[in-house]
Amino acid sequence: MQTRYKNIYLIPYVLWIVLFVIAPILLIIYYSFFNIEGHLTFDNYIQFFTPVYLKMAASSFWYAFLIMAISLIIAYPTALLLTRTKHKQLWLLLIILPTWINLLLKAYAFLGIFGTYGPANTFLQFIGIGTKQLLFTDFSFLFVSVYIFIPFMILPIFNALEELNPSLIDASRDLGGSPWTTFRRVIFPLTLDGVKSGCQAVFIPALSLFMITRLIAGNRVITLGTAIEEHFLVTQDWGMGATIAVFLIIAMAIIMILTGKRRRG
Amino acid sequence: MTEQTIIRFDQVTKQYDHDQAVLNNVSFEIERGKFYTLLGPSGCGKTTILRLIAGFTEPSQGKIYFNGQIINTVPANKRQVNTVFQDYALFPHLNVFENVAFGLRIKKMKQSQITEKVKEALRFVNLEGYDHRTISEMSGGQKQRVAIARAIVNEPEVILLDEPLSALDLKLRTEMQYELRDLQKRLGITFIFVTHDQEEALAMSDEIFVINKGSIQQSGSPIDIYDEPINRFVADFIGESNIIPGTMRQDFLVNFADKDFECVDKGFDANEAVEVVIRPEDLEITEPSLGKLQVRVDSQLFRGVHFEICCFDEAGNEWLVHSTKRAQVGETIGLNFSPEAIHVMRFGETEEEFDKRLEAYDG
Ligand SMILES: Nc1ncnc2c1ncn2[C@@H]1O[C@H](COP(=O)(O)OP(=O)(O)OP(=O)(O)O)[C@@H](O)[C@H]1O
Ligand SMILES: [Mg+2]
Repeated sequence: MQTRYKNIYLIPYVLWIVLFVIAPILLIIYYSFFNIEGHLTFDNYIQFFTPVYLKMAASSFWYAFLIMAISLIIAYPTALLLTRTKHKQLWLLLIILPTWINLLLKAYAFLGIFGTYGPANTFLQFIGIGTKQLLFTDFSFLFVSVYIFIPFMILPIFNALEELNPSLIDASRDLGGSPWTTFRRVIFPLTLDGVKSGCQAVFIPALSLFMITRLIAGNRVITLGTAIEEHFLVTQDWGMGATIAVFLIIAMAIIMILTGKRRRG
Repeated sequence: MTEQTIIRFDQVTKQYDHDQAVLNNVSFEIERGKFYTLLGPSGCGKTTILRLIAGFTEPSQGKIYFNGQIINTVPANKRQVNTVFQDYALFPHLNVFENVAFGLRIKKMKQSQITEKVKEALRFVNLEGYDHRTISEMSGGQKQRVAIARAIVNEPEVILLDEPLSALDLKLRTEMQYELRDLQKRLGITFIFVTHDQEEALAMSDEIFVINKGSIQQSGSPIDIYDEPINRFVADFIGESNIIPGTMRQDFLVNFADKDFECVDKGFDANEAVEVVIRPEDLEITEPSLGKLQVRVDSQLFRGVHFEICCFDEAGNEWLVHSTKRAQVGETIGLNFSPEAIHVMRFGETEEEFDKRLEAYDG
């Protein structure tokens, strides 16, 4: 009886998964076996392993890695500081707030800020460095991406730090651990799950970024996400676009498995 | 302060934010190589005193000395003190061996030496062969013992133990009491032990500090504190007692329950109002005519070793008697006690005044 009721509750969820997760993936895999003329072929997969696409994949991974690494380096100390402030919930809210604003809006805002006559350049001029080309550079791309993703890194790390029993830190100090030793041997290992979740939450979406690459990086940074967009919207080569998507999905699955939570005895 | 003093609190006050002070002008000295117990009810400030000694928190006022040096702001990792935490605070990501080895690894000791010392510490707490267990696989009592091993393995000058035996069953607890006491004597390390169990305190300590609401009520050997509590709180907290209002007629003569009794206390004003303490086990049941007091038995409980008999005298005072003899509820019995069994307490007397009064008379 009970299991049957449970099954009834599951129906909306299963429907959702089938319609919006499983069906699209199957469709992508299906399309990936057709070339632009609509013939069944493995050509797309063979083409993916040509230098053009491999370079694109490498650059996607490289930029995603950079975004993740920079976010982590900034986010960890921020989260640590946050757990020690008085009004942590308020500060946390301020950090989460930007994520409620549409990504495109934020990207356009940065177009203005980093533009030739934008406030960033005004400031550079003011301190005597002079106007610089900021938009369409690696710097602006990384800056904006980190800005967009960093809350997703801070949040899980902050939660992990909050869950950490403070007497463990006392215990480490008590046993002679300096603040740095305590961080290395106790705080960091015990918040590793939070770090992993944060890395996952940043790396995976960063891998398939495409809007920002065009708006902020001016297509100087070509990632797999950009390529998919091009194939579907511009060249109409759905088969190739789907093939790249298949590789992205595989890459994401591998990352999920690698950074997945290890069960502790 | 003598050579023997290792820790000294000088008028230490601790206050969190704008709350009421958790510790109020606390002063005491800890001598090298002794076993001290901080005893008091929940929330009285025992853990706070340990945290001040360990260096997890700083006093709001006053000075803390360690080996004659002020250590108010010395960080915890620079102090020759190790703690057994009330919640164990074992590292969940390390196994039993690595937890115990934590302090030794920080000291950069050789691996062979670490192995040897950790094994010995684990043997002491009866956890041989548990090296590779993870912490979550250990029971509450086993965790406590790992925590003890983790502290003693460092051989510090002082070990702070925050209710380290509270999660153990009675048998293991008694065993560990003996072993801890034995270890303390063997190593010659100063132990500061926190408990709210008065029997444990009496059994283990060289010296007990009885604490209430952030100040030390009385300090002394277990026997001193048991036999000569200075106020109602101490008398009540250490063992069970009958506390009866009375008047001090003159030296060595006290009046209570409408009768005069010979006693051994002195140094009071004539006809001063006092409180009289008599321990339930010092009362002996006799024939009514042979007793110094006549009381009516109100109720009786069998407690295993003895009967706990509750009686009332004619003046309406309640008397608790521990006796191996059975009484009959409703009957009138006599109570006998020696002058030494009577302990007279002055109202609102501090420990210093108490000591002064005794000194003045013992000359
Ligand atoms: N960080 C803190 N901030 C504010 N108040 C605190 C803090 N730590 C302890 N206190 C207060 O200080 C008082 C004494 O606490 P403490 O932990 O020393 O008690 P304790 O004697 O160890 O009690 P127990 O036997 O229950 O462990 C308590 O009233 C507690 O609420
Ligand atoms: Mg406590």
